[in-house]
Amino acid sequence: MKNKRKGLLLIAVVLSLILSTTAMAETPYKTYTVDGYGYVLETQSAYNPLSAITKVGETSFVTPMDIAIGNDGNLYIADSGAHVIMVSTVDGDEVRMIGEGVLQTPTGVFISGDDKVYVADKDAEKVFVFDTNGTLLNEYGRPNSPIYGNNMNFRPIKVVANKTGTMYIICEGNMNGIVQLSPVDGGSFLGYFGTNYTTLSPFQIIQRAILTDAQRAQMLSNIPSTPTNLHIDEEGLIYTVTQGDKDMCLKKLNIAGKNMLDSDPYWADLPAAVTTGNYRNMLVADSDGYIYEYNEEGELLFMFGGRDDGRQRVGLCNKVEAIAVDNQDRIYLLDSDKKQVHIFEPTEFTNLLHEALYLFSKGRYTESKEPLEKVLQMNSMFDYANQAMGHAYLQEENYTEALRYFRLAKSFEGYSDAYWEVRNIWIRKYLVTAVIVIVALAVAISFYKRWRKKKYGEDGPTRPSEKVPLLGQLKYCLYFMRHPFDGCYGVKREGKASFACANILLAGYILISVIEKYFSGFLVKNVREGRYDIISDVGTVLVIFIGLTLCNYLVVTINEGEAFFKELYCAYAYCLTPFIVIKPFVVLLSNVLTYNEVFLISFANIIVWVWMVVLVLITVKEVNNFTVKETAKALALTTFTVLILTLLVCIIYVLFSQVIDFIITVVREVVYRIGS
Amino acid sequence: MEAKKNKKKRKVLIGLIVALIIIVIIVVAILVSNSGKKDALDFSQVQQTVKEPAAPLSASGVDTSKELNGHHLVAENDGYELYLYEPALSIIVRNKLSGAMMESTVRDEERLGNVNETWKGFLQSGIVVELQEETNTMQRKLGLETSGAAVSVELIPGGFHAKLDYTAQELGFEVEVKLYDDGSITAAIPESSIYENAANKKIGNIYVFPLLGNSRLGEKEGYMFVPDGNGALIYLDDKEGRFDSGYVQKVYGTDIGVGESYVLSLLWDRYETHNDAQTILAPVYGMVHTEDALGYLAVIESGEEEASIYATPNGAYSDYNWVAAAFRKCTTYIQPTSNSGGSVTKVTDRINYDINIRYLFVDGDEANYAGLAKRYRDYLLEKGELVNVADDFKVRLDFLGMDVENWMLWKKDDPVTTVDNIREIYDDLAAEGVDNILSLYKGWQDGGIYSLPVTSYDVDGSIGGAGELSKLMEECEARNIDFYLYTDGVRANPETGNTTFDTVKKMDKRTYQESTHQTVYDTFVYWTPQKTRENLQRLQKSFRKKGIDKIALAEVGNTLFTYTMGDTMQTRYVSKYLYEATLKELNESMEVLLESPVQCYWQYSKAIVDMPISDSDYIYTDQSVPFLSIVLKGTLPMYGDYVNFEANEREYFLKLVETGIYPSFYLTYENPSELIYTNSSHVYTSQYTVYREQILSYYRELKAVNELVRGSMITNHEINDNGVTIVTYDNGVKVYVNYSNADAVVDGTTVPALSYAIGGV
Repeated sequence: MKNKRKGLLLIAVVLSLILSTTAMAETPYKTYTVDGYGYVLETQSAYNPLSAITKVGETSFVTPMDIAIGNDGNLYIADSGAHVIMVSTVDGDEVRMIGEGVLQTPTGVFISGDDKVYVADKDAEKVFVFDTNGTLLNEYGRPNSPIYGNNMNFRPIKVVANKTGTMYIICEGNMNGIVQLSPVDGGSFLGYFGTNYTTLSPFQIIQRAILTDAQRAQMLSNIPSTPTNLHIDEEGLIYTVTQGDKDMCLKKLNIAGKNMLDSDPYWADLPAAVTTGNYRNMLVADSDGYIYEYNEEGELLFMFGGRDDGRQRVGLCNKVEAIAVDNQDRIYLLDSDKKQVHIFEPTEFTNLLHEALYLFSKGRYTESKEPLEKVLQMNSMFDYANQAMGHAYLQEENYTEALRYFRLAKSFEGYSDAYWEVRNIWIRKYLVTAVIVIVALAVAISFYKRWRKKKYGEDGPTRPSEKVPLLGQLKYCLYFMRHPFDGCYGVKREGKASFACANILLAGYILISVIEKYFSGFLVKNVREGRYDIISDVGTVLVIFIGLTLCNYLVVTINEGEAFFKELYCAYAYCLTPFIVIKPFVVLLSNVLTYNEVFLISFANIIVWVWMVVLVLITVKEVNNFTVKETAKALALTTFTVLILTLLVCIIYVLFSQVIDFIITVVREVVYRIGS
Repeated sequence: MEAKKNKKKRKVLIGLIVALIIIVIIVVAILVSNSGKKDALDFSQVQQTVKEPAAPLSASGVDTSKELNGHHLVAENDGYELYLYEPALSIIVRNKLSGAMMESTVRDEERLGNVNETWKGFLQSGIVVELQEETNTMQRKLGLETSGAAVSVELIPGGFHAKLDYTAQELGFEVEVKLYDDGSITAAIPESSIYENAANKKIGNIYVFPLLGNSRLGEKEGYMFVPDGNGALIYLDDKEGRFDSGYVQKVYGTDIGVGESYVLSLLWDRYETHNDAQTILAPVYGMVHTEDALGYLAVIESGEEEASIYATPNGAYSDYNWVAAAFRKCTTYIQPTSNSGGSVTKVTDRINYDINIRYLFVDGDEANYAGLAKRYRDYLLEKGELVNVADDFKVRLDFLGMDVENWMLWKKDDPVTTVDNIREIYDDLAAEGVDNILSLYKGWQDGGIYSLPVTSYDVDGSIGGAGELSKLMEECEARNIDFYLYTDGVRANPETGNTTFDTVKKMDKRTYQESTHQTVYDTFVYWTPQKTRENLQRLQKSFRKKGIDKIALAEVGNTLFTYTMGDTMQTRYVSKYLYEATLKELNESMEVLLESPVQCYWQYSKAIVDMPISDSDYIYTDQSVPFLSIVLKGTLPMYGDYVNFEANEREYFLKLVETGIYPSFYLTYENPSELIYTNSSHVYTSQYTVYREQILSYYRELKAVNELVRGSMITNHEINDNGVTIVTYDNGVKVYVNYSNADAVVDGTTVPALSYAIGGV
């Protein structure tokens, strides 16, 4: 006993030595997080490399394939090259070897809550179960059930088990899904679990419809990918990662095999392993050495690490096979190429965040504010913390603060909820005042009208639009919008339009579309706050409008249309009127709506666009004096012309860039020749 | 008929126009490539001069028949003997008092172990040449005996002079080795003695006594010292084959001009995820055999800018631990010949410089890294390359003035700390008793921090304008605050300055471009050192007119590169020479502050800012030691990296206590979220109100510690058995730092967990 204590002390000293010598060094990698818009930004180091284990006792790793942490805190490392499970302390001292002489190619290891060691052995085609002392308790071979598939091999590569002992096994070459095996009767097959599905692109669908059976047989078969790795948490949820499945590479499956995560753009490219931390956080290791930490909803908290590529620095990996987290939140990363276990330690920053995560998941929102505030103090742009703060304030019914934090975090749902409450309070407070003001205004207007009538009679004074023709033309657009047939007649025959007026309308359209883009309400806005790109906004509208008008003009002139370019240009500009008239109200409205009423915006948008399309159709028909059939033909031809024009522009662009490239090459060659 | 003629005419005309365009392009290209040629001084003949050691040469009239392991005695003094084995030019240095010795080759065939011919030649030769044949990118190592080189030795006062002729390769040079009475040995290879007669065989690299102080596996106790960051040790224990390579770094940082190949793996094809390793700031390396109480520190006195330091633990290439410097005499580079990837490999001309290394031996109680550091400090003081600067504790508070973001058609100013804001912060701190402050003001110039170059005192209006800034600087003068205006002397922004000429062209004559992976300004280029000098001269003039005498410079202090001007190669020494001349000029009328300067500029800087506090944490380094801190503490003030971005605040604080480095904060008055769309988006936390309390507590605690050791130098640094770091100063003060989670008792003083204590007051 005394000896043991001494040993422990020694370990403590050694550990502290390691701490003092390596922990402070600058990390060889940067740590990134994602803000509410999905903007990737740097943050404080989340985990620092602590040390690396290269051998267990005197035994070096040969081909380490999997790592698990036992309930005793020891590391269980499956080494397929050494044909054993190495049990090691966190300092790399050997505890024992398990399965010597039994195991052939152990590639997966799992420790259950009741201290059983499950080993997936690919070449032995079995799953072995040991106790922690290395005594073989059970072994399970290929299931006999016909549902398993008659020609299907049983080559287990990864295994986990739930509390009842049901095993979930990933088998090499088995695309049906995860094999679910019950421990009763020497392993009875329960079925496949968490099957991945394939998706067909539209092109593939067409291809399949056209090709003959023989041709189809020659194509690459579209079979689902087998999960690469899996993990089970305390509640029995299964986590899988799949390489090559871009959209759903990470899945969190409930007992029914249903995925509980939505796709996220910040998932690993080449996920190799997944595990869960002590705060329902998920950690995914990328084969290239990147580590991703997500919260329980699959939102990215941190991304760090990277490939070593000869840099030879602690914390960089070459080929990651497995990941594990111990109860002190340290991350263990198994690298089969460098034959090492890298150990990472959470920093003070991450510890704060984890504390907040923990409190948050327990619903103790108010308490979670303190660590969150510290996190935000260290990095005010850490939007996950902003969002959590928003939720905390929402729970406390402090809606204005909640609104502020949600907006900072770009959390639309949260913002909508908080805004609803804020608006509700506002309405309750000012409803009476508002009604009074509206009534007063209505009364005032009616008085004004009566007064005017008295002064000028029925016709009123001469309006400015009658004095200045341009104003009259502008006003005409309102008439055009409501009476397109007459309107077109007016444009064509009565000279109710001019280039100046059309240009003003186009400018108005551009102005309002820019305003819509940048000043719509927070919930319906599609652009980042504070980010502007006016040139391309204006350019796009101009190019599309002028290009379309031009193509249309070219088509109608050879189709016996009667329109002149000016008429078409002006009429089309008039067609933009609904947008100019209605959109400003939509933009205003969007600033006071929540997600509950956001359908109003979509509805208004549909009206505006349908209206505009109808106006354009009528314009084409009326201005050219076409029949319906001719109109359809002209439109189809216009579409075709637009395609040709686009193609032409592309070809010219490509040729031009080739010429530029050629000139650059010549110049470089000349510089080089002269230089040497 | 007429139409046909016209058509023909038109064709001819078009042909003519095309021809004309091509001719114009070629002429322009020639002009561009020749621009700057006229004032391209030929610096290739400029040579570094090395001061002889102050100590006298040791006696050479010795009994040359006295033998040791097949070597015979060539020189000796009271402390050391120098032995030589001529055919391999192998030396042994023996300490007379203890009898301990350091060998420079492995003579014993049996001990060589299982190595191939190449490595055998390497291990058995005092001088190793790596041969550049044709344009092979792999260079061949030549040992003296294995390559059949002729060695003729002549004894001279203090040592020997050897002429090496690699007859088969038709090249050779001379080596001179001398022992001095202060226990130092110099080894020199003068440029003038080098000859290369074969057209296709050149000297690639020269290793000078690579195996000096070698040991096999874990047979010796001790460590190799490498100048990684602040300093790092590689223990001489048996590594059991864990490493297949060792530490290799270029002294004074990588050479952008030759485009050393490296893999750039970007995350999601966009984000650079790696942090660069620390730059070597001082051209030194060392070997200590602690049990034998013998060690040396090798100082590269000449040719350091072309040297790389190799520290190889056993198991990598051979069973031996060795640390050495390799000197680059030529290198290969890739010359692209087309845009689509065509290229040829080319070899540079020989890089002209003398090689000079001085080995400073230490023994007895001094045979440890602290001893090496002290020896190096004395060495620098003796040479005048380190000058005593008033060492008052100051907290460094840097301010970011403004940066810009894309807005509509223009760039929009994002002022985050105006002049008034700074005044307010100073007032607020003064009320709390914080008055020893050093500040760098970044982003004060018109157009913000990345509006480069800065050649005049043109202050951006959004932070208050020139009048206000001048007023603030006067106030600072009165309040004794060191207020420096910061600028980058090397970088040029193609969007804010004319960078058509005078920018650095790499060896392949392509302009060097640095990618920022940012949205506002995505690339920067570098000025040639000539242009940097010109820019800084103009800035100096403008500053002097306004009575400004403090400037902080980034990059100038730690950027060296090979580049081309016209068609001549300009070596890293040219950069060094020109930057040094520039700094000397600036020093005449200004106080200059350099950002992590390399050793050759230390004498021109009032302090070192962004001093590395630790090492790069390579897999083969075993311990991080504050070598440079021991060298500099008490002579030159050091300011660390920004505390803001540290994830482990407490440990960082303790590290500051241990190393005597002063704390630094990067501050803005506004919330840094204002900066998210600017190139400064990496500044994610900097608001003054957030850091106010931390500044106060750091200031009070660190000031109390540093007042006790003001002007004192560190005499010893060790980690005791409890894991407590003990730093001893020459005035007797001891600083105990405990990084562990448990309290510890040292010398009767209790050092609380994650804390420190002071003893010997």
